[in-house]
Amino acid sequence: MEKLASLIIIIGTFLWLFSIFALEGRWQWQMFSALVLTVGIFCAHFWEELRDTEDSGEEKD
Amino acid sequence: MARERVSQADEWQAWAQRYDIEGGIRTFESGLTIKVFVGALFVGLLMMPGSIYLSYVSGESGAGAAPWVAVILFTELARRSFTTARRQELYMLLGLTGAAVGSGLQYRNFIWYAYFINTPQAASYEIADKIPEWIVPAGDSVGVLTRSLIHPDWFLPIGIYLIGKLLGTLRFVSGQYILFRLTADLERLPYPMAPISAQGATALAETTGKEETWRWRVFSIGSMAGLIWGFLYIGVPSLTGVMMSQPIQILKIPWIDFTQSIEGFAPTGVFAFRTDFGQMLFGFVLPFPIVVTEFIAAMATQFILNPQILYRYEILHQWSPGLDVRGVELFNRLDFWQSGGMGKSFSFAVVGMAASVPMLFKMRRAQKAAGERGSFAPPPNRGDFPIWLMGLMWLIGMGGFVWLIHWMVPNFPLSFLLGYAFLYTPINSYITARTFGVLGRDLFEIPYLHEITFILSRYEEIDIWFAPLPDEDYGRGTQSWRVLELTGTTFTSNLAGTLLIMPILLVSGIVVLHFIWKIAPIPSAQYPFAQMMWPINATNECLWKTSLRDGNSQMLQAIRGDYIAAGFTGSLAIYGMLWVFKLPSMWFYGIVGGIGADPGSIVTRLLGAVIGRFYMIKRFGMRRWYMYNPVLAAGFACGVGLIGMGTVAIALVSKAVIVKPF
Repeated sequence: MEKLASLIIIIGTFLWLFSIFALEGRWQWQMFSALVLTVGIFCAHFWEELRDTEDSGEEKD
Repeated sequence: MARERVSQADEWQAWAQRYDIEGGIRTFESGLTIKVFVGALFVGLLMMPGSIYLSYVSGESGAGAAPWVAVILFTELARRSFTTARRQELYMLLGLTGAAVGSGLQYRNFIWYAYFINTPQAASYEIADKIPEWIVPAGDSVGVLTRSLIHPDWFLPIGIYLIGKLLGTLRFVSGQYILFRLTADLERLPYPMAPISAQGATALAETTGKEETWRWRVFSIGSMAGLIWGFLYIGVPSLTGVMMSQPIQILKIPWIDFTQSIEGFAPTGVFAFRTDFGQMLFGFVLPFPIVVTEFIAAMATQFILNPQILYRYEILHQWSPGLDVRGVELFNRLDFWQSGGMGKSFSFAVVGMAASVPMLFKMRRAQKAAGERGSFAPPPNRGDFPIWLMGLMWLIGMGGFVWLIHWMVPNFPLSFLLGYAFLYTPINSYITARTFGVLGRDLFEIPYLHEITFILSRYEEIDIWFAPLPDEDYGRGTQSWRVLELTGTTFTSNLAGTLLIMPILLVSGIVVLHFIWKIAPIPSAQYPFAQMMWPINATNECLWKTSLRDGNSQMLQAIRGDYIAAGFTGSLAIYGMLWVFKLPSMWFYGIVGGIGADPGSIVTRLLGAVIGRFYMIKRFGMRRWYMYNPVLAAGFACGVGLIGMGTVAIALVSKAVIVKPF
């Protein structure tokens, strides 16, 4: 999950830079990059918050 | 070596623990006694004029000093009377004195709008005659022209304010209490920043013992530094302003502007060195990574991003040589930073949601795993209130508030008001209460909510911009209930003290502000901060209030989708990349806060942060330095506040004397 979140964030960042330099900063493309980044950041935080619970659950089992 | 990943919650809680010197206590006593009440009223009302005066002279009210002066006097009297002061009493004293000294500033909007209604800006934007009479009387009314708040012209604005205050007290006390019970009692959230607030009272409570402790010494050092600085920065200009037409300023208030000096190599860049060295104390207290990254980002903006990219590509196109900091900032904002800043604010909201939503999931999972819930039963003798009573109070307070707004702006759609009051406010408050409980700060805030509402409602009258909206947040206030719990103060005594002192403060605040307004027009040379800032604030207010008019205002033209998207997505990318590289989330708040800011306004804060980090911590040790910090800051605020109080006293006396020509 951590690697997936990192990958999504990196893709989102590259998309944004591409939209700025190659697509004249059109807001539609920038917002699409923002959507990708938001998904990545949510994934990152879900992983961060829930990883301990997952670990403790596994130990109990 | 691979860097270890630390979650945002852990990172902030680790920082909070630096200030957490001792744990709380769980026995409760009343903090309200006659001597506490009279002491708070005496010191609060004595320092209130100084606080109002300071806010117009230097932009800082120094109101933080008054509670500490009260506590110092109280503890010294206790020592000399061979008795002790309890921490409950001292905490209560801090709260009541703070309320007393701040009671004058609650009416400051009256003075602002009395100025605003007669500005050339309000006239040229054609809103001067459209400002509602429940905000300020007409610009040519006797109450405004004679600078008199105690005049029948002001009865309607003051009456509306007082009704709003009463309803607000009902809502905020009950709303905060219910959320505190939910988050602290039921969910058992830690409230990591609450011990810092609790520490001040407990620190000084022990000075009433037989032995003097380090706290008294640190407080005295801070006070002396504050007295010296306050005399140079505020005392000299204020006293010379009484005697001369142009006051002497040893250090220019509020800044020394270097913007024209840098325009040769950094056109569109600003650098105005803020001369208030009191900001250094904020640098001592704020997390070091935030201050440093904020400064670096601000420097990069003003020396690279603005001149080399945005100006070169003609995004910042209204700039011309010779403008001062206010002019450059205004044009930069209209050209790009208004939109860029909006985008940044939206990114804070997304990051806040991303951090807080998983916390809710974690709570549910943890409860399932443990098979238990926090008890809703309050600890004994804490002075709790019945939940149904608090719920009823909130309903009455909110219902009355909605009715009041509907009376003020009858044509504004009622459905928006009801939606805000009974849907948005509870959800928003609960999320904030949770983030305060876990992180000790607010994360969730939807920016430009009012503006979005006004656009969606298709309401085009100006009056709605002056009316309050029922979009409230009680989450922040839950922390103060936790501090009461940590200091062992009963809730009932705190509420009784607040309600008892309120009527006195409502009357005294308006009387004092009336007399200060009588000294000289605000703004004028007597009040350099107001004189410098208010004209530009008036322009900004006009831009906002006319932004939806005709669909073609200057502000609407300044708001561009591609620039908002750039600010929003760029900030998210910064946050994301910091997370990928396992860097502290504090850097995000520093970097994004600093982008677009004036580095000159951060220099003194940076100085404080660097001295604290590289000298003070080494000299005293981390633990002791963080123990000293709040007490030192309180001492400094006390010294500056005393100077403010002294100068306002002299100014009032000199204005009361009429010099006869024979």
